[in-house]
Amino acid sequence: MAEPRHDKLFYYTLLPFASTSLAIVLLLASILAVNSLPAIERYGLSLLTRNVWSPVELDPEASDYGLLAPLLGTLVTATIATMASIPIAASLVYVSEEVLPARMLRVRSAISILVDVMAGMPTIVYGLWGALVLAPLLLNYVYQPLNKYFGFIPLFACSPYTGLNILTASLLLSIMITPFVFAVVRESYTQIPLSYREASLSLGTTKYEHFRIMLGIIKPSLIAGALLGFGRAASETVAVTLVVGNAFNLPYCLLSPGYTVSALIANQFNNAPLYPYMESVLLFSGAILLLLGLVSNLAGLIMLSRVKARV
Amino acid sequence: MYRLRRLKSQLFTALSIAVAILVFATIAHILLSVAVNGVGVIASAGIDFFVKPPPPPGAGLEGGIGPALAGTIILVALSAVLGVPLAVLTAVFLAEFPHSRFSRLVKLFTNSLLEIPTVLVGMLVYVTLVTSTGSYSILAGAVALSIVLLPYTSTYVERALEMVPATYKEAGYSIGLKKAQVVWYVTSRIARRGIAAGILIGLAKAAGETAPLLFTLGGALYSYPTSPASLLEPGNAIPLLIFTLTLAPYENWHSVAWGAALILTLMVLGLIIAVRLVVREVKV
Amino acid sequence: MARSDGTEVTVRNLRVYISGRPILKGINLRATPGSILAIMGPSGSGKSTLIRVINRLIDLNPSATVEGEVYIGGLNVLSADPYDVRRLTAMVFQEPNPFPHLSIFDNVAIGPKLHGLAKSRADLEEIVRWALEKSQLWEEVKDRLADYPHQLSGGQRQRLSLARALALKPKVLLLDEPTANIDPVSTRKIEESLREIARDLMTTVIIVTHTPQQAARIADYIAVLYNGELVEYGPAREVILYPKNEFTKKILEGVI
Repeated sequence: MAEPRHDKLFYYTLLPFASTSLAIVLLLASILAVNSLPAIERYGLSLLTRNVWSPVELDPEASDYGLLAPLLGTLVTATIATMASIPIAASLVYVSEEVLPARMLRVRSAISILVDVMAGMPTIVYGLWGALVLAPLLLNYVYQPLNKYFGFIPLFACSPYTGLNILTASLLLSIMITPFVFAVVRESYTQIPLSYREASLSLGTTKYEHFRIMLGIIKPSLIAGALLGFGRAASETVAVTLVVGNAFNLPYCLLSPGYTVSALIANQFNNAPLYPYMESVLLFSGAILLLLGLVSNLAGLIMLSRVKARV
Repeated sequence: MYRLRRLKSQLFTALSIAVAILVFATIAHILLSVAVNGVGVIASAGIDFFVKPPPPPGAGLEGGIGPALAGTIILVALSAVLGVPLAVLTAVFLAEFPHSRFSRLVKLFTNSLLEIPTVLVGMLVYVTLVTSTGSYSILAGAVALSIVLLPYTSTYVERALEMVPATYKEAGYSIGLKKAQVVWYVTSRIARRGIAAGILIGLAKAAGETAPLLFTLGGALYSYPTSPASLLEPGNAIPLLIFTLTLAPYENWHSVAWGAALILTLMVLGLIIAVRLVVREVKV
Repeated sequence: MARSDGTEVTVRNLRVYISGRPILKGINLRATPGSILAIMGPSGSGKSTLIRVINRLIDLNPSATVEGEVYIGGLNVLSADPYDVRRLTAMVFQEPNPFPHLSIFDNVAIGPKLHGLAKSRADLEEIVRWALEKSQLWEEVKDRLADYPHQLSGGQRQRLSLARALALKPKVLLLDEPTANIDPVSTRKIEESLREIARDLMTTVIIVTHTPQQAARIADYIAVLYNGELVEYGPAREVILYPKNEFTKKILEGVI
């Protein structure tokens, strides 16, 4: 029973169109790889381990680059954002699935609409609000007191000047990725079979204990939410660029302006052709970003398939 | 003992409700900031806000987002023309030949495309298209946006096609329709609302994205796209304009950015609401 | 309307596996033009699979493998292009499933239109009317052909599905428990029209049914499947009056 002739024709007609996404990803990966080669040949591993950014126009010998600050900046901001968004998302799931009685359908659907709005809002709007509203607010009411009273802790030791810093970027990112983490966790949560719910409740658990047991069942999806959220946070560009401060400081102190890989690309790529090796260095950093995004996403999807196997 | 457990539970509930309220207060604050600041600047600039270019830095508010508004409309339309057919055909391929080995590959790559940092899409189009044509252009921006739109629309359309009950496809085959005919006369018609929703979601993405435009569009502040030839010249878009205005240290530009953000938010949320309206009424 | 020359369906040593599990274990069967063959058996016995082999809808299930021989007249069903097979056959399903996006008229017209069976608009209208009359729906819908299926009752929708199938003038009409979910009036009308179709058009009718009463009312031949095997096959009267197999007895008594 071979595939009928007409269907084969249909298949081969669609094939070139369906291949576009594949072609785009492969083209992107190969362009990033090929164009990073000059930078890798010139600077080697030190691209990852040093914090230098001194482009010199027309002088390849004097131009020197090392991506340590933006790399650490990306890891630190995305990690803080993820760690903050997990409990927030879990609380939202708890409120919408356990606290609100089932008959309050309208409130539940209002929550899901608001989360949709959060997820759908253009990231540049978060960036604008972050830079012009959140940063000054945090500076006055959080960072200055934090520095004054907790300055002995190294993370808060540097005096905050503008509110545009690593911590602001992390907090803004946590708001931005919360709807995605929430969606992942809630999806698995609602798929827990009734029998497990009943079993847990029949033990006489309190709401909180019941919720903990349910979360235990879908633990892989919490991890998946964290991984997918991390990937999103690491890829986010314009909102971060507007609030991170864009300075080549290693993120020892959360209150000092810093850099992330995506912000570095956003700020420097337009000028890159003027400076020797800069374009190659930035495409190399793009390759790292691609790798980071794909790996965290793939790991997240694998985790999700584990939840499906479990429930 | 039980009382203690209950207290703990109540404490956790209270804390969670507080967190939920904080989250929604934050989102409300964002929306309100955009609304209040945006309405203020648009009211003081009047109709000029929609037609004039931004005011000179440090000056008043007599100006607006004219070129960027026009640019966004053209970009969204053009990226839809480029991206929607590809997305729909990809979705048909994935929905109709799910068991072919190549299908799984395409699905994997479509999913990856969904998660690729969009700033990299900008780099890709820069290296391939901008350097070879020698100029930033609206066309390059539209190509970048169509790449962003592609995986969203194709994923949603695929899901819509798969949700068509198997019995209608069986009925189509039972009267002798070929696969392409079943897709054209049966599946895609029954799934039309889902397909429309997928396209709208793609448009919302394309309208709201900034990063893919950073190295492709050029960010022309003052020039309007006037003729088809303008497609090969630099242009601007509302998200990119907001980025430029916010990064700059001028109060009056920040005000214009709020107005632009209001327009952008209305556009994108309007599309999202349209999706909800379209999909809620699906009945099969 | 022209009488179509009937076409015999022959099934020889048919084996079907789904995901490696045997569903049909060597079926031999024959259905002759102008007669109605009823296939009975408990659920899971392979009845639906059997008729889906005859029109190759089984192809839609990628985990199914089929061995043996099936002929419709001279056409080797298993090696032919499935579209050639489906042009000779038509099917009515358990759930009434007229296309929800097409009007009543278009539901019946879509097959003849796409297969080029009508030379003109008038021709097409004639075919639609004929098919709706044959399925005993015409009187109820003749003034509302532009309405949509969701405006019809379940039984009417099922007769519309029958009309959609008949409009192709199939040599072989397959029905998968067509009256399982509809009202008694529509059931009676469908049964009447099936008798008429078999008698007047020399169509080969194969119907899967779960009610012995229905088989007794309309079938000329009865085949009983149990657990993938054919346990009884013969003229309807004989099978009903003198069942040889104990499962057949149980099925006829409605025990399983």
